[in-house]
Amino acid sequence: MYLLIIKQFIRSKAVILTTILILVLGLISIFIGNQFLVKQEKAIAEVTRHQQEHIERNVSWIDSDMGLLLYYLRFALINTPDNLTALSIGQRDVNSGIQSVTIRTLEGQKYDTDLNNPTNLQSGNLDFGFVIIYLFPLLVIAFTYDLLSEEKEKGTWRLVAIQSQSVRGYLIKKLSVRAALLYLALFVLFAIAILKLSLPINEVLMAFMALSILYLTFWLALSFWIVSLQRNSSFNLLTLLSLWVALAILLPASVNNFVANQYPVPEALSTMVKQRDGYHEKWDMEQEVTMNKFFAHYPEYQKYPLPEGNFSWLWYYAMQQMGDDESRQQSEAMRKKIMQRERASSAVALFVPTMHTQLIFHDLARSSLDDHLKFLDQTSAFHEKMRLYFYPKIFENASISDVDWKQFKPEYFADKPDINWARSMFPLLLFIIGFALWSIINLKKLKVT
Amino acid sequence: MNRALVFHIAKHFWLNTFRSKAIYPIMIIVGLIVAFAAYSGWKSYATHNHIRTHYQQVARESWEANPDKHPHRMAHYGSFAFRLKHALSVFDFGLESFTGNAVFLEAHKQNSVNFSEASFSTGLLRFGEISMAMILQIILPLVIFFLGFVSVAVEREHGTLKIILSQGAGWKEILIGKSVGLMGLAFLFFIPVALVILLLLFLATEGGLTADIWLRYAGILISYLLFFLIISIITVLISAVSKSSKDALIKLLALWLFFFILLPRTTQALGSYFYASPSKAEFESVVEKELIKTGDSHNPDDPHYKHLKDSVLLAHQVNSVEELPFNYSGFVMREGEKLSSRIYNDHLNDLLETYRKQNSFTRITALINPYVAVKNVSMAISGTDFESYIDFQRQAEDYRYQLAQQMNELQMELISNKAPAPGEKPHTISRDHWKQLPDFKHRYISISSTLRSELWSIIALLGWSIATVGGIIYLSKKAKAI
Repeated sequence: MYLLIIKQFIRSKAVILTTILILVLGLISIFIGNQFLVKQEKAIAEVTRHQQEHIERNVSWIDSDMGLLLYYLRFALINTPDNLTALSIGQRDVNSGIQSVTIRTLEGQKYDTDLNNPTNLQSGNLDFGFVIIYLFPLLVIAFTYDLLSEEKEKGTWRLVAIQSQSVRGYLIKKLSVRAALLYLALFVLFAIAILKLSLPINEVLMAFMALSILYLTFWLALSFWIVSLQRNSSFNLLTLLSLWVALAILLPASVNNFVANQYPVPEALSTMVKQRDGYHEKWDMEQEVTMNKFFAHYPEYQKYPLPEGNFSWLWYYAMQQMGDDESRQQSEAMRKKIMQRERASSAVALFVPTMHTQLIFHDLARSSLDDHLKFLDQTSAFHEKMRLYFYPKIFENASISDVDWKQFKPEYFADKPDINWARSMFPLLLFIIGFALWSIINLKKLKVT
Repeated sequence: MNRALVFHIAKHFWLNTFRSKAIYPIMIIVGLIVAFAAYSGWKSYATHNHIRTHYQQVARESWEANPDKHPHRMAHYGSFAFRLKHALSVFDFGLESFTGNAVFLEAHKQNSVNFSEASFSTGLLRFGEISMAMILQIILPLVIFFLGFVSVAVEREHGTLKIILSQGAGWKEILIGKSVGLMGLAFLFFIPVALVILLLLFLATEGGLTADIWLRYAGILISYLLFFLIISIITVLISAVSKSSKDALIKLLALWLFFFILLPRTTQALGSYFYASPSKAEFESVVEKELIKTGDSHNPDDPHYKHLKDSVLLAHQVNSVEELPFNYSGFVMREGEKLSSRIYNDHLNDLLETYRKQNSFTRITALINPYVAVKNVSMAISGTDFESYIDFQRQAEDYRYQLAQQMNELQMELISNKAPAPGEKPHTISRDHWKQLPDFKHRYISISSTLRSELWSIIALLGWSIATVGGIIYLSKKAKAI
């Protein structure tokens, strides 16, 4: 019986064609992911090379004024992409993974974006995540929508009903053959991705694969449920495609619109203006005003006397510090707002499998907004570290040649994604079980004619 | 051609569609989505323009509130440019969410345009956005396919096709009649949307609909009219050549998936593969390298500036810069700004050219894909396309340059050439000068210049309209009843 079903299924030209199509697109997506990694590596190599050259040049020009030298020097922090990021590029193309900052006001540098073609960003990456989330469901629909109706429309259903012990069993066998081919295609692509992108076999990859399998199963269950309603082929196809449009386009896009409108981020602009004013106003104030605030923040520097005269680096960097200190409130409000967006999105996503899968993919591949926020936090810590290292040297006007400048290589940040198996898999499992049971119940009332 | 028959067939198709009742849920769903899209388009327009105008004002006030100071301090104090949304962005979001909105403008440095909506967004943005334009471009064609796949095929299945043909109607009447009927159904969705757009435009411009807005509105109406004409005819033609309505449906859905979902993404990916663009790190280091080669005002031994100094001293017949009739460091900074801006802008233009080449892949597919054509034209008219964004960037850079150079001029003119002695107050000029610099005002790019860059898409829309009408005539002669 099985053999017959398999033979009948793969004899169809449409099946072969669509399977080849998805394999080709899958390959392209893996290739695109690889391109992304190559581009990142190139950028990282460039930053590393540039930082060294840049420090060497400035150190050779400015040999006695530590304050002036640190005005120019930039230090890079890199959010290293995992190889897994290639499978789901997420927000990585929008948000730069490289920060290159001076020790001056950070708030004016932290949010600088990478150079991007906005048309590319809008069109989105054809990454493996896209193939799984958008295209595999279409294949599921194409393979299963006429699982039952085809037999009825061709008039073979009566024959089947007479010959097999259980018509329900027959349908499930038919479904399982289709499912097997889909899982096989998915596994082949994963195997190629693992080899091509040298993905480490670890828990994160397992979670990614498990989620992909569940997602595919969700669509099989949904499709089977529509089949179990026992309507004609056109109705099934129309309904399933409408469901696909709703789940893959309309619902997520609506939620995105809603979240964006619900939580606008004017705090970004107020931070921008405030950090400028916080620093620049100080030029027109008595030096003590700035120094008092600065010493309140860093009591350990009180030991440095403020040099006489109109200008000193101690005063200058204290003013720069005020750009950050006085815009902190706005900046924290911005961060909070962005977190609200993240939380609202993932809460709604629990009820919509496409959105849920996408967001978890991004979390696992470290290409989510949340990952970028962590990187921004790390940038602040990195910036503070550089500041604290150089402040005393500037205030003492330490000798430039005494510092080992070679030690300042770009630093790396790589956050480990924490995998919440229950939260990741449960929503999909519930949907799968629900639709499967409902289908079985529907099929109890299977009509032969 | 028998007009009465065409009308009769169209009317019959209408009545049949409404009798099947499937259209009602579709109308309700599309209606709800349109309402939501209109609301979010309006809300986003109102909120963002309010926020941005507010901060443009705040920034200006603090600029003007500066006390007397050295003009170069003001050049560093700098200003901001906030991008305003075009009134038509309520209809078509275009690239809006992916383009930066705010840039800090200061001397010596071209800052990036930051805080795009995308940079605050979760991965959900990647599913797309719901705008009225998106519904007209992607969802309504699908609705037309849903309503139209049966148009001719079902008559063939039921054997009624032969009856109609034998009653005196030719293929031409059938195909035109069905197309008119289907287009009528499309307009049933499109007309309310068009009215909503007009209403929102009234609100957005506070009743002051200018000739420019009317022109853009007319452009939108015409483009989408042509688009729905094309889609409706294609649907009917495919229904006519298909063996069964199921067959027609499969073909139409495959077309939709291929042309609306897969092709645009793939061509864009191809574009960025064949024309690789540099990362920011690479871009900046190339600019820096060239600047150092040409002349770096920070390098104490730079030959370019040494030469400049010698020639200035010679021209004014003096021995030292202190004797010059103007402030020399202001002069050096003016030269430096000129040089660095030129180099930066040259590289930026190269980069934008690369982006245009990346986009050209998708752009050229407008010729085979009416969806891309209407999408591009719609974005351009709505002031939310690539060129509109580039234009904002250019305006911001022009303003930055003007700001920096005006401060340098003031320094040359009004600041003494002798450094203040120790204990002496630093040189300053009157705060009255700050007001003289006009505020930044984002001006929208004119419709004629955006449309010029979308010439291909316009040709494609017209070409497709002619081709599909031609398709009806061709098929009327070839089609068979069985």
